[in-house]
Amino acid sequence: MDFEYTEDQERFRQELREWLRENLPDGWQAGERPGTDDPEESVEFLLDWQRTLHEGGWAGLHWPEEYGGADASLLEQVIYSQETARVDAPARINAVGIDFVGPTLMELGTDEQKERFLPKILSGEELWCQGYSEPDAGSDLASLSLSADRNGDEFLLNGQKVWTSYAHVADWCFLLTRTDESGPKHHGITVFLVDMDQEEIQTEPIHQITDETDFNEVFFDDAVAREEHIVGEIDEGWEVAMTLSAFEHSMSDVFSIDQRWRSLVEFCEEHERDGKPLAEHTHVRRELARLHTRIQAGKLTHYRNVSKQMETGVPGPEGSMDKVFNNQTEKKLENFARRLLGANNALWTDGPDDGQWVTDLLMPYGKMIAGGTKDVQRNIIAERVLGLPKDD
Amino acid sequence: MDFRINDEQRQMRETAREFFEDREVLERARERIDGEAVVDDLWADLSEMDYPALTIPLEYNGLGDDVLYLSLLLEEAGRVALPAPLPETLAFGAFVLDELGTDDQKEEFLPAIADGEQRLSFALYESGQESLPRDIQLAAAPTDEGYRLDGTKTLVPFGKQVDTIVVAARTGSGTGMDGISLFLVDAERVDSEPQDTLDRTRPTTKLHFDDFTVDESALLGTEGEAGSVLQEAMDRYTVATCAMTVGAASRAVEMSSEYGSQREQFDKPIGQFQAVKHRIADMWMATQAARSLTYYAAWALENDEEDAARAVSEAKLFCSEQLTQVFADDIHNHGGMGFTSEHDGHIYFKQAKAWETFLGTPTEHLDRIADSHDL
Ligand SMILES: Cc1cc2nc3c(=O)[nH]c(=O)nc-3n(C[C@H](O)[C@H](O)[C@H](O)COP(=O)(O)OP(=O)(O)OC[C@H]3O[C@@H](n4cnc5c(N)ncnc54)[C@H](O)[C@@H]3O)c2cc1C
Ligand SMILES: Cc1cc2nc3c(=O)[nH]c(=O)nc-3n(C[C@H](O)[C@H](O)[C@H](O)COP(=O)(O)OP(=O)(O)OC[C@H]3O[C@@H](n4cnc5c(N)ncnc54)[C@H](O)[C@@H]3O)c2cc1C
Repeated sequence: MDFEYTEDQERFRQELREWLRENLPDGWQAGERPGTDDPEESVEFLLDWQRTLHEGGWAGLHWPEEYGGADASLLEQVIYSQETARVDAPARINAVGIDFVGPTLMELGTDEQKERFLPKILSGEELWCQGYSEPDAGSDLASLSLSADRNGDEFLLNGQKVWTSYAHVADWCFLLTRTDESGPKHHGITVFLVDMDQEEIQTEPIHQITDETDFNEVFFDDAVAREEHIVGEIDEGWEVAMTLSAFEHSMSDVFSIDQRWRSLVEFCEEHERDGKPLAEHTHVRRELARLHTRIQAGKLTHYRNVSKQMETGVPGPEGSMDKVFNNQTEKKLENFARRLLGANNALWTDGPDDGQWVTDLLMPYGKMIAGGTKDVQRNIIAERVLGLPKDD
Repeated sequence: MDFRINDEQRQMRETAREFFEDREVLERARERIDGEAVVDDLWADLSEMDYPALTIPLEYNGLGDDVLYLSLLLEEAGRVALPAPLPETLAFGAFVLDELGTDDQKEEFLPAIADGEQRLSFALYESGQESLPRDIQLAAAPTDEGYRLDGTKTLVPFGKQVDTIVVAARTGSGTGMDGISLFLVDAERVDSEPQDTLDRTRPTTKLHFDDFTVDESALLGTEGEAGSVLQEAMDRYTVATCAMTVGAASRAVEMSSEYGSQREQFDKPIGQFQAVKHRIADMWMATQAARSLTYYAAWALENDEEDAARAVSEAKLFCSEQLTQVFADDIHNHGGMGFTSEHDGHIYFKQAKAWETFLGTPTEHLDRIADSHDL
């Protein structure tokens, strides 16, 4: 057991810091996050950032070199997450492509698929979305029904997806379809890589409680998917879907939570109550200390999970803990932050921070649902880690 | 950075688990609760395994392992509520001897500890003091031959079952950790009174010092300057108790999982009801989080990291605030069985409750964490 970073790892950190200093977008360096209310501009901005990362060689850090990645170790990825969180770097708009779809294709895609798709995922030339959920298939994903019917060497897609993040800007979709209804529900699912640029696919924005419209309803009306774009085998897509989910669950937000805690401390140092900074009030100090303890616990547990993954090679069900535990921490943090605002807590964009805290307060409530709710995650822990009996 | 436990550590843990099971240590914890004298026999067993030698330096016949290694052993000990003063002897006693002892004192005590012939404990708290033992009042006045101690100590772990007690006293004036001296006192010589405590696996004792003299060789280190070593010894002992609590909590999660798979109500195993299943998943998460904090604290202490004191307080805070809930949930998961003395849950619950405020209440640790962040 050792928490010291090696010299090589420290050098990697320095290089990254240096690069970030030189390449972060204007205004972002100082910790400000100048944004725009215009959704299109915002997508352009994020695409630009994706390209910058790619040019610097940082886009597909964990991808093998043969696919244009940097073949970084898990620990270098940890350092990357720490450093980008530290400077509050812009979000990675093609995370679905780079973190989930790419690695899944490397493992299960055909040579042609790898050649065709991987380079454009990495460069950000093609954005991806994840078409899993349907109105009647949420937690119970396997009951999905969007149909894919053979029509020569093509398939016709009919049905609906919902909550599909970034479907309105995505070029491609990693889509779960139903190709056989006769067997048990985990059988007869097929995964297609689907071109979103067709009139037969329509997206309708859904308004989130954050006022943003990141996710969508997506309607398929005789849209076309091609046989060569099937991932894995026909009817055997469930395994493929679960491979992608394993990559999805192993993501952790813990370093950005740490960064948020630091901003909260700054806020408490800068704002006064009863003639002294909030940070000097006993109950504030203690609550900040309690929150930090939880953040630290989440971070160290993440390190333990990463260490375990270095040994086993695959992310385990422990990823569910990363997700649930850190999400709860995030909620506690935002909750406390809001209470510090006192009555002004009722303000949103008119609030003291142009509404950023309100949006931040709301986001964790969506994150706890996206990618599997906390109830589903706790089932995973209880059944796969602790061996408790499965739900009926 | 690598948060894995290495092969040697893993091996040691497996051996320890088998050993504690084989010697029915949990059964002996129950006997201890019933008032039986089990410590001598148990100590002979522990010595057979060389456990008392674990952190004693090699030159004193010890094994020279670190506090992290000790914590891994104590995690196993926690699973069986080890009713013996191993953390007191090693994490506290042997540590202060090693830090402050003269060559003669080390020669006298350290090999004896390693050989299983010396058990140690500490006397910090005083009557009427609920909190961190900073405000030590027990007076030590210099005499021609040594010192005269006057005052009363309370909550001395295993005060009647150890050979030597490290007594913290105030020499001269000073407040807080200034002016503190530590003395090695022969346990047999002190007028002591057993106390009935919540955690009967680890009995405590009240000690009365009334015109009690010790000679000069009893003093550890320089007069009045033991404060910082005392603080570190308390930190090491605190991490040791966290490790035991984490071990106990893992056992509680296992017991709940086993019972949940077995016990049927409404025609199915209760572990299939999510009210129970999710509670157990939460218990597991809290235990994992506490384990991470405890390992880190042990590592940070061993490596003199800048944030070691904070890491200790974070581990302690989390164990106090979150793991007592794990033990309470375990009792609840067992229904009526959980409220019986037959079920092991209460043993762990009571111990965790007793430790919840020992060596710093949660509030005091919160303050220490806040201080460490310059808040
Ligand atoms: C911000 C956000 C982004 C998203 N992005 C995408 C995306 O890009 N692509 C995509 O495909 N989907 C996306 N989703 C959808 C997400 O995966 C689903 O919302 C999620 O799986 C839950 O499904 P549901 O909404 O149908 O809720 P339901 O499954 O209907 O759940 C409702 C409630 O019942 C509980 N519940 C359901 N089943 C069980 C059970 N067996 N045991 C205990 N409790 C249960 C749930 O925990 C929840 O509290 C996104 C969601 C959000 C919030
Ligand atoms: C101090 C004490 C005094 C008592 N006195 C009496 C008395 O005088 N007379 C008498 O007849 N009985 C008495 N009882 C028994 C008491 O009524 C039962 O213990 C209680 O009904 C629970 O039953 P159980 O112990 O079999 O636990 P179980 O029913 O086996 O429950 C075990 C765990 O599973 C959970 N669980 C069970 N079913 C479900 C479900 N469907 N959904 C979610 N969770 C579930 C429970 O909440 C519990 O956490 C007493 C119990 C105690 C502790």
